[in-house]
Amino acid sequence: MRRKKETANIENMEMATRRRGQWRDILGRLFRNKLGTLGVIIVVVLLILIVFAGVFTKYDYSAQDFGSRFLLPSLEHPMGTDNFGRDLWSRLLYGGRISLLVAVVAVIIATGLGIVFGSIAGYFGGKTDLIITRLMDILMAIPALLLAIAISSALGSGPIKTAIAISISSIPHAARIMRSTVMSVKGNEFVEAAQATGSGNTRIIFKHILPNTIAPLIVNATLQLGGCIMSISGLSFIGLGVQPPTPEWGSILAAGRAYIRDFWPIIVFPSLFIVLTVFGFNLFGDALRDALDPRLKD
Amino acid sequence: MSLLDIKGLTIHYITHQNTVRAVNDVDLSIDTGKTLGLVGETGAGKTTTALGILRLIQTPPGKIVSGEILFDGKDLLKESEHNIRMIRGNDISMIFQDPMTALNPIMRVGDQIAEVVYLHGDCTKEEAKERSLHMLETVGIRAERSTEFPHQFSGGMKQRVVIAMALACKPKLLIADEPTTALDVTIQAQVLKMINELKAVYNTSMLLITHDLGIVAETCDEVAIMYAGQIVEYGNLEHIFDNPKHPYTIGLFKSLPSLDKDVERLSPIKGLMPDPANLPTGCKFHTRCDHVCEDCKAIEPAYQEIEPGHFVRCLRVERGEI
Amino acid sequence: MIKYFIKRLLWTIPVMLGVLVVVFTITYFTPGDPVMTILGTGYTPERYAAMAHEFGLDKGYFGQIGSYIWNLISQGSFGKSFASNIPIAQEIAIRFPVTLKLALLSTFFVVIVGLPLGILSATKQYSAFDTSLTAVALILCAVPSFILALLSLILFGVKLRWLPISGLDTWKSWILPVATNALGGIAVLMRMTRTTMLEVIRQDYIRTARAKGLKESVVIRRHALQNCLIPVLTVIGSNLTMQLAGAIIIETIFNINGMGMYLMQGILARDYPVINGTVILIAFIVCVMNLAVDLLYALVDPRIKAQYTSGKRKAKAIRKLRSAKTEVE
Repeated sequence: MRRKKETANIENMEMATRRRGQWRDILGRLFRNKLGTLGVIIVVVLLILIVFAGVFTKYDYSAQDFGSRFLLPSLEHPMGTDNFGRDLWSRLLYGGRISLLVAVVAVIIATGLGIVFGSIAGYFGGKTDLIITRLMDILMAIPALLLAIAISSALGSGPIKTAIAISISSIPHAARIMRSTVMSVKGNEFVEAAQATGSGNTRIIFKHILPNTIAPLIVNATLQLGGCIMSISGLSFIGLGVQPPTPEWGSILAAGRAYIRDFWPIIVFPSLFIVLTVFGFNLFGDALRDALDPRLKD
Repeated sequence: MSLLDIKGLTIHYITHQNTVRAVNDVDLSIDTGKTLGLVGETGAGKTTTALGILRLIQTPPGKIVSGEILFDGKDLLKESEHNIRMIRGNDISMIFQDPMTALNPIMRVGDQIAEVVYLHGDCTKEEAKERSLHMLETVGIRAERSTEFPHQFSGGMKQRVVIAMALACKPKLLIADEPTTALDVTIQAQVLKMINELKAVYNTSMLLITHDLGIVAETCDEVAIMYAGQIVEYGNLEHIFDNPKHPYTIGLFKSLPSLDKDVERLSPIKGLMPDPANLPTGCKFHTRCDHVCEDCKAIEPAYQEIEPGHFVRCLRVERGEI
Repeated sequence: MIKYFIKRLLWTIPVMLGVLVVVFTITYFTPGDPVMTILGTGYTPERYAAMAHEFGLDKGYFGQIGSYIWNLISQGSFGKSFASNIPIAQEIAIRFPVTLKLALLSTFFVVIVGLPLGILSATKQYSAFDTSLTAVALILCAVPSFILALLSLILFGVKLRWLPISGLDTWKSWILPVATNALGGIAVLMRMTRTTMLEVIRQDYIRTARAKGLKESVVIRRHALQNCLIPVLTVIGSNLTMQLAGAIIIETIFNINGMGMYLMQGILARDYPVINGTVILIAFIVCVMNLAVDLLYALVDPRIKAQYTSGKRKAKAIRKLRSAKTEVE
């Protein structure tokens, strides 16, 4: 018994070191990719600006100043002011917190539920798999944005509800990836060996299968972040999702829409933030995928 | 005069990281109606040589660095792209190694044969179609099957289709790149026999690429042994089989099982072929050679004619030491 | 083949039914009482009961969904709008052609622009043309269509005054909505075509085609293009879906009276039958689209067709297709 434990420990250590080496390789490949590096830089700069928004801004994002409405960009207001005389730069930085947070929460929920559904379907197969796959087929048949609109009109507005609305339409994708990875890992001999030595299902799933599915799930999550930011801002823009006066990139756009003919900064700058963020996450996700699977690269 | 005369052909694959010297200073010639066997291990540069003749090297990264390829007296490397296209499939055609992937999966096999006939044949589409049916019958496939798709054929049948396609325009030179390697052993002999018969009918010359010395003995008139991008020994069948000189050639024979002789155990050549991106100095074979001397490591051996028509690239043979 | 077609069709029906149940359930459990909203200050218990009965709201979840499905199948009816009391099918009949036209036009441009650009980009890999086109596509992939719409509206509508910014009165007014809806799809299709094409032109049969002496343009057109149609078809299929969903936001920006505008009215008025009707109809169209794309695969690729016709290999073929589709998405 003790011997068995010891060998198991050695195996674990070996696996751990192998994994650490693997991650170092991956990072190396990631930074050799110029576009990937650009993506990482964009994401990191944005994160710093948003997390330490207080350091980079002089104005309270909600402070109204009717004497200085619709100011064009200047040193004082780098991105101008809005219809209430609020500093757009501060609103966009603080708004980024909401946009990113909602996106991250949505991706976490989607990935988490995707893991649950996907691993159950992939591991147990048969009828269970059939039922879950068909359910996912149904969810996939409704265009993601439409589903999010329907859920969000039912739940009402607010950051948490938006995150839930967005996440549900992203579940099938994560579940699919999880399912196919689990199915391919399950076929490996070490899983059969574990089953032969009498390990329970939960133990096999957590110990042997899940660690092997981390890489594709991380790639998927990174790539989905960009999409989620787009969907959140889209929802807020049409009046669902997050609503004014809470600053969120989409809701700032929605509020600015009335002034589109006369005051361009209120549309252009929030758009710039959304596009740059999505661009950064997309580049990062693409590079991560190539780094994890070098075969795919041309 | 020979039909094909290759002189000093050198082909490199150049990437950011390194330069792969796939083919280095290769001389070959084939007479009309004759078959030359090009023998070597995987990665020796055989396929690259063949693709070089048709100028089908993917550029970049591939590049024909120097040399000349005289076909019917014309240097193929100096011809225009248009002229080369007129030669491909018409005067020189090629059979590829893997019949499973060599055919377009979504085109009917009859159409794939008719395509090359129509292109070069100066005929109507109907005549091309007729010819494709005839070619199928020639390689032993019923003409009705011309409307089927490649996935409906077995590996051996696919290779027959490829052969029909290659011979449809009665080429002067056929390049067969390991035409039987991917096939079942039982099919190999059939396919090989068919290639030989058809070749005789059309009076076609052939460059047969293989790593199977048995096939060479049955099929070829002359043999070139290739190692690390160079021809190390060249001669007719008697030269190579009865009087091999280069240690690599001798090693190849020793590593073969034989029915005639009773050998205790086979003696494979030790070691692996050098990385073509990082070739050794001197003789490329010195890292694996049993007869290696100090000079072998420094001096690049010359390609010497040691008896009429028998060439060897070995320092110690040249010096008469082995 | 016909057997496959029927099987595939039979599978589409439960998916559609599932879609209906999901959407209906979402709106059913939405908090708030629509009858109260309609009656407003005119509330009396009698009028409430009468109104609830008229809309079938007194029947409970299963009763309501049952009669919804029954009415849809037997009369093609999506019920009546709470707000206007007009049959929803009637409203949709007016608006749906507009949205469909917008989506089809965008898809048309996606295909005729994205496909050739992707092929060119692949055949000239690493050239300046390829690099710059790939860069543009990468950026376009990060721009949501509504932002593209807003920005082009400012530039071409407000600053340059070249194009009208609302309604669909002249052909000129179609330009911005179609272009902004299509650009993202063009970028996606271009990238996908490029990747697939690069993979296909490395195949042995392309080398065979070149060895025949065919011109490079013929090699690409006759041999490479058809072989990369499967993933490309998938993208085009999912693109039409994207265009339909994207049209909803685009329509609100350009003031186009289509399904999107109708849906938005429904959401603002909490008019659930309208939300149900529009979302379910669009999802149904997506199901039919997916069905069509799956059948097209079989027409394009004889291998898939063969696998469908022989029962044994069918399951394998579908599994392969699924994984191909997953990769695409």
